[in-house]
Amino acid sequence: MTAYRLASGGLIDRSNTIGFTFDGASLSGHAGDTLASALLANDRLLVGRSFKYHRPRGIVTAGPAEPNALVTIGTGARRDPNTKATVAELYDGLAATSQNRWPSLAFDIGAVNDRLSRFLSAGFYYKTFMWPAAFWEKVYEPLIRRAAGLGRTDLPRDPDGYEKSWAHCDLLVVGSGPAGLAAALVAARSGLRVILAEQDFVLGGALLSETTRLDGEAPFVFARHALDELHGHPGVTLLPRTTVFGWYDDNVFGAVERVQKHSATIDAARPVERLWRIVAKHAILATGAEERPLVFGGNDRPGIMMASAASTYANRFGIAAGRSVAIFTNGSSGYRTAEDLSAQGVEIAALIDSRTDASDRAPDGVRVVRGGGIIDTKGRRRVRAVIADRGGFEELIACDAVAMSGGWSPVIHLACQRGGKPVWSQALQAFLAPEAGDGLVMAGAAAGHYRLSECLDDGARKASAIVEALGRPVAGFERPVVGEEVDPSFTALWHVPGARSKAFVDFQNDVHGKDLGLALREGFGHVEHAKRYTTSGMATDQGKLGNINAIGILATMRGVSPAEVGTTTFRPFYTPVSFGALAGSSRDEHAMPVRRSPLHGWAARHGAVFIDAGLWYRSSWFPKAGEKTWRESVDREVRTVREHAGLCDVSTLGKIEVFGPDAAEFLNRLYCNPVLKLPVGKARYGLMLREDGMVYDDGTVSRLAEEHFLVTTTTAMAAGVLSHMEFAAQVLWPELRVRFLSVSDQWAQMSIAGPKARTILQAVVEDDLSNAAFPFLAAREVRLKGNLKARLFRISFSGELAYELAVPAGYGEAVADALMRAGEPQGLCAYGVEALNVLRIEKGHVTHAELDGRVTPDDAGLGRMMGTGKPDFIGKRLSTRFGLTAADRAQLVGLKALEADKDMRAGAHLLKDGAKPSTINDQGWVSSVCFSPTLGTHIALAFLKSGRERYGEKIVVWDKLRGVETFAEVCDPVFVDPENRKLMA
Amino acid sequence: MAYDYQAVHALDGTIGAVPGQRANHLAVHRATAIAVVLAAPGHGAEAAGILVADGAFEARFCGPGEWLVLSEVHAPETLVAELSVRLGAFAFVVDQSHGRVALTLSGPDAARILANGIAVDLHPGAFAVGRAATMLCNHLSVNLARTGVDRFDLVVMRSFAEAFVADLKVMARSHDLSVDFATR
Amino acid sequence: MASLISCPHCGVRPKEEFSIRGDATPVRPAPMASDEAWNDYVHVRANPRGRIREHWQHVAGCRRWLVVERDNFTHDVFSVTDAAAGRGGAQ
Repeated sequence: MTAYRLASGGLIDRSNTIGFTFDGASLSGHAGDTLASALLANDRLLVGRSFKYHRPRGIVTAGPAEPNALVTIGTGARRDPNTKATVAELYDGLAATSQNRWPSLAFDIGAVNDRLSRFLSAGFYYKTFMWPAAFWEKVYEPLIRRAAGLGRTDLPRDPDGYEKSWAHCDLLVVGSGPAGLAAALVAARSGLRVILAEQDFVLGGALLSETTRLDGEAPFVFARHALDELHGHPGVTLLPRTTVFGWYDDNVFGAVERVQKHSATIDAARPVERLWRIVAKHAILATGAEERPLVFGGNDRPGIMMASAASTYANRFGIAAGRSVAIFTNGSSGYRTAEDLSAQGVEIAALIDSRTDASDRAPDGVRVVRGGGIIDTKGRRRVRAVIADRGGFEELIACDAVAMSGGWSPVIHLACQRGGKPVWSQALQAFLAPEAGDGLVMAGAAAGHYRLSECLDDGARKASAIVEALGRPVAGFERPVVGEEVDPSFTALWHVPGARSKAFVDFQNDVHGKDLGLALREGFGHVEHAKRYTTSGMATDQGKLGNINAIGILATMRGVSPAEVGTTTFRPFYTPVSFGALAGSSRDEHAMPVRRSPLHGWAARHGAVFIDAGLWYRSSWFPKAGEKTWRESVDREVRTVREHAGLCDVSTLGKIEVFGPDAAEFLNRLYCNPVLKLPVGKARYGLMLREDGMVYDDGTVSRLAEEHFLVTTTTAMAAGVLSHMEFAAQVLWPELRVRFLSVSDQWAQMSIAGPKARTILQAVVEDDLSNAAFPFLAAREVRLKGNLKARLFRISFSGELAYELAVPAGYGEAVADALMRAGEPQGLCAYGVEALNVLRIEKGHVTHAELDGRVTPDDAGLGRMMGTGKPDFIGKRLSTRFGLTAADRAQLVGLKALEADKDMRAGAHLLKDGAKPSTINDQGWVSSVCFSPTLGTHIALAFLKSGRERYGEKIVVWDKLRGVETFAEVCDPVFVDPENRKLMA
Repeated sequence: MAYDYQAVHALDGTIGAVPGQRANHLAVHRATAIAVVLAAPGHGAEAAGILVADGAFEARFCGPGEWLVLSEVHAPETLVAELSVRLGAFAFVVDQSHGRVALTLSGPDAARILANGIAVDLHPGAFAVGRAATMLCNHLSVNLARTGVDRFDLVVMRSFAEAFVADLKVMARSHDLSVDFATR
Repeated sequence: MASLISCPHCGVRPKEEFSIRGDATPVRPAPMASDEAWNDYVHVRANPRGRIREHWQHVAGCRRWLVVERDNFTHDVFSVTDAAAGRGGAQ
């Protein structure tokens, strides 16, 4: 037995005993424990195996910088790997397992790496597993990854919910220690909106483990009073269990709140984690300071921890780290720990102080070894003794725990995440935060003010300045009377000379002092190179403990100041954040909103099979009883439209209404074809180009009144075309008097196509629909029987006699039902986008399968539409450039399959008959393919070099991806009714 | 054959009503007439003046020279006609009664629920009663108007209404929320 | 995580509400301007480091096109104005 629970003391609830398991063993702790403190209370010093050498490792810290005590918490779909035991709140039923060991923590096969370690130096893997190159991905990497690793994640679906929230405040205080609490109190009393975020599950920070008295009482009493007061301020939000992990542009902070990570039973009505985006006018970082490890031989043995951690475990958790603790320090802090432990009745084996001239006073009875250092440690799975060296005189000191203190580093990560470089302070022997502007200031220990009184004063002072900057009267703050306090001065000691065994710099990535020396010798002495060469600071803890020593060691070896070495780049996240929290509720149907057509219900009632089209669900085909394949349904729908009539939902087309005296002029500049003279009551096909001369989108333009147009876009480009029009109106030609609005959602729109279309529509529409009264391309408001206003357009995508009828969206289903009833005697059927696609291919109409951004109007056979006489339109100028008018451009053609048993597929390339299959001989590509029930064969639309001159040619359709070569005949792309007799009927 | 068309609301059959009148409530308006007013170029001030002066309409700011006008008393056609008469040549009026869906979220947690999808500061001091603006809520654009300290109107595109209500329920998961069509 | 843009019409909004088109400095040439002028306008961009002017559209808000003047290195935003302001077009 070494570590144990003290008989009294600490802020734990001894009346509340909590059961948990570690590697299957049933253990118990108390409410208020972390997993780490509970493990120590049970004398579980060995908690993990190191990453590379599989060395036994124990708990080093009592906070978020922990490099060693990474465990997996939870089981099944709720496994959280790589959780730091030092911050994990103990709860009833917590099940923790150790990581990176096989078969067990106590007996680990991988530990052989430790004995092979002289072959496993920095860069070993890069140097050794270089050849053959192909082996890296398949053999070496998987092997190495299995041997060197962290916790495993699991594949089952995460059963829990996550939430993302925005928050706004005048002041964000990060950290609830003395500086943070003082700042929050001043701001709250001054009426500011304050958010106080604390990563711990108890607010109070260092006040929870500090022993210097405030107003004569233990400091946590002050913290409780302060928190009680803050609770009472309506503008204050207290966020315990919340880690502020990132500082982003415009003073937005990212924070993750662990809402239900401290419970075995999850309330499904609440998220397990919440990601906060906090927009703060000002922020105070009161993140404290991190104690530095000392780099001495064998400094990684279980039982060796930070001195401040030993104090915290004693004072906050009522735990002695050992029965006989050796303290190794380079400053005053080690003496404070000696006092804390002595006060709890723990024996101090020795206090080894690297300084020769220190004047600190050790507690009575404690032996001090001045000017000494530890050069090695003994023990197997826990420390049993240290070898201290003083001026060449070695001494074996028996102990069962070591507390080390290497000085202090302000926690400045957040302040450096936006590019500012830390500034070296010679006086403090530490890096301080860079000047970060008005939005963010450091306070307390994070600003290098280590004394308790200074922390309180600094927090209050920084908050007062912010209150003033916001133009508010500053409320008072009377600092409590601070008892005898310690100034944690120290003399930097980056590397303890004379190490007899590995002296670790980065515990988590197993980087030791010699690795850094090797890096420097091999030319990787720059701090960023050394990091990557040795992997120091690249583990999940991002070198929170080790980086500063790595910098100091590099500086010493290079003979320069740490200021010259500098730090590696600080980036979010401060500590790891789960993907669940980052995704929030954006998963499944909430990841991409579903868009529903107003005719969705109608289509569903008719048995539609739906297909995703962007965010939309579109009806793809409508299977009838007995139809076994989609082709059977689609072929029937196509034949029905060609012979009788069909009804198709086209509500998803973009619809934009355009108003104003310059509406016609505006559209005339937007479309490549002329619009100015379009008569009222008529529609026209319209083609929009990009400024580079390529086709952007197509649709229709209808003139509803002299200064009122309705334009349609394709479904896919609806949003893009609206933005394009807004750019044209607001940026290119703001002088044009035009306004427009997307009305896509207002209208349910259906296409009624086929020889019987007029008869069917006339049964529902009051207005005369005869060819004379409502000719091809007529577009105007009509009145339906039953007194409903609608818009009717005689336009056709299928090549049949066809109309598009638009009614207010809510009436869509009722009108579609009425049309289906009216059409029943005529053989009307519902048809989906698959049949629509076949119909348009048969008619040679293009879609974005053809208009893929590389196609000019002439390529698509629409060159005659170009309003070349217009003074200007988007795309006009560059349409005339050489290359876009070349005679050998690929032009739209039709293809008829010549081999019935071989598939043509879109994306296939075209070759001359007899040409070697190669992209050098490429003659074009296939853009759309279908089986044409009308022609009884497969047909395609394709782009072929000088294609319009090559009708009748036998050509090879070469599909290298699918390994198909087949013959097709080049033909006119209009397969059906080239004279437009049906269209005009 | 009789032609008597019944309008279907975008959320009919898909609302997933959470019954009762809980602490927080999302009411879906079945028959709100909605129009968009676009000021004629150069006449934004006049159009705004007429919309504000009247008081008969609830005009919500969407963007420069663009407002959503909601009415519980007008039918869609009469709302458009009335607005067209009053605004004359100063604006174009477009019926959007079927193109948008209007909802009201009320209750003590309303602003907190919205903060789970909306980045705008909804503190009453920052977004006061009477303010309206179009903003992003998760993935969707929504026009939000504060009609009371704990009361917001939300107007969304019809095709997204179902997805929006589903999102809002998730946003409100930690809060007590009932959802139903408004009764009036 | 976030960047905030202060829309002149809507107030402070997260960048997710905007779509960025790119350089706002090229001006569309006259219809019959030279090949070089049109080539520059459509194809050539300088991609400087530092202070730039860009076209951003507030797609999830007022849908106005804005000119955002910002530093693409420090991410400082210096000004956000309506692209049509002062050109006779602000509604």
